[in-house]
Amino acid sequence: MEPITRQEHASRDADAGLIRRILNGDDTALGALYDRYGRLVYSVSLRILRDTGAAEEVLQDIFYQLWRVAGSFDFARGSLSSWLMVMARNRSIDRLRRRGLTVAENPVGALPPARFDLESDLARKEMVGRVRGALDALPEPQRKAMELAYFEGLTQSEIAEQTGDPLGTVKTRLRAALTSLRKVFGT
Amino acid sequence: MSGHPQFEEDFELYALGALDGDEKSALDRHLFACAECRARMEGARGRMSMLALSAPSVAPPDGVRERLIEQFRAEGPRESSDEPLVRSKVMQFRRSLWAPLWAAAAVLLLAAAAWFAVENRRLGAELAQLETTHQQLEESEQRLQAQTARAAAALDILTAPETVKVELTPVAARPVPHGKAFYNPSRGLLFYAANLRALPDDRIYELWLIPSEGAPIDAGIFNSDVRGNGEVILPALPPGLIAKAFAVTVERAGGVPAPTGPKVLIGPVS
Repeated sequence: MEPITRQEHASRDADAGLIRRILNGDDTALGALYDRYGRLVYSVSLRILRDTGAAEEVLQDIFYQLWRVAGSFDFARGSLSSWLMVMARNRSIDRLRRRGLTVAENPVGALPPARFDLESDLARKEMVGRVRGALDALPEPQRKAMELAYFEGLTQSEIAEQTGDPLGTVKTRLRAALTSLRKVFGT
Repeated sequence: MSGHPQFEEDFELYALGALDGDEKSALDRHLFACAECRARMEGARGRMSMLALSAPSVAPPDGVRERLIEQFRAEGPRESSDEPLVRSKVMQFRRSLWAPLWAAAAVLLLAAAAWFAVENRRLGAELAQLETTHQQLEESEQRLQAQTARAAAALDILTAPETVKVELTPVAARPVPHGKAFYNPSRGLLFYAANLRALPDDRIYELWLIPSEGAPIDAGIFNSDVRGNGEVILPALPPGLIAKAFAVTVERAGGVPAPTGPKVLIGPVS
């Protein structure tokens, strides 16, 4: 288990308190969690699905799921924000694959600039900046491979098929990108 | 996969879902058996989840929050599913007493609300049943996957060329040390021993010739080799000694003039 920062502790405590209130039937607590994380979940889903209606359904679905499984959260093992980010990505990619959509013609452009205030909503301004900065700093082929993996949910073989690059090249790019990103995310 | 995955990228690729084919299968099997690597995988999942922050930030449409809370109120643990709806409609009804038309509409709304509540409860029960079945199927599938992974891991061990095979026998069946001495009073002594255990560095085996009269005579010191064999070839002995027996003891390194340690072997001259 990785060590967590004091800020992360405070965030987890606050999340745990809101979850307890949800379990006690306090509907304002669900609203408070939505205010903290709704934008993040929706943003990830929209980035993957590129469809506001579908992203909205995923958003509602995830918060409904959050309410249903609230009693089983173990805050000693991880953070709610991580769970929500993983859920947002997985649900959206599941939906993407069910729709049988292929990746758009130009699926991976440069990451759009951070025009919105996700940072202030989540008090993670610094980390958001670092993640985006780290991805922006990657060589284009590496960033493209990473985004196909993360936002399109493609395996390395599928990326090779999609881009026409040799599988070995894709593997090398992904590993190089991950090595660079780890310096930002920590190990 | 032999040993632990060396690189954190393996875990991160797995966490991303980018690993596939044999690489994924090998890591699947390894993770099944290795708690340390499962912990590393948790770390990788956490790191990879941070990539979500790179998505451009967009506010959800208006109304989602309210719908979500309304759903929570309708199904929340402390309230039955129909109470919130009915209560809100009753309040509307009271505010509209002056308008019979509105009252009629409210009655209709009440009826509709009640119908929706009943239907909602029925669908909720069906949904709960379906989810229970789904959960059971998922658990069953997870058990099956775990069993399959375990069988594959076992097959890997059995078929890997670097696997060593070790036969274990009961302690009582362990090979017993034994020795053979070939002694000729005028020509000399040859001694061979087998199945001896290895001794610590500060101990050594010592061979004794026990004469028909008098104290045991030092016939040489020896160590056992890696297979437990040891030998003493033509030690310097007084000529013409009549031997009654031969014995081997464990003594301190360098040997001693008279036996003091435990006897390992002894054999009378027949």
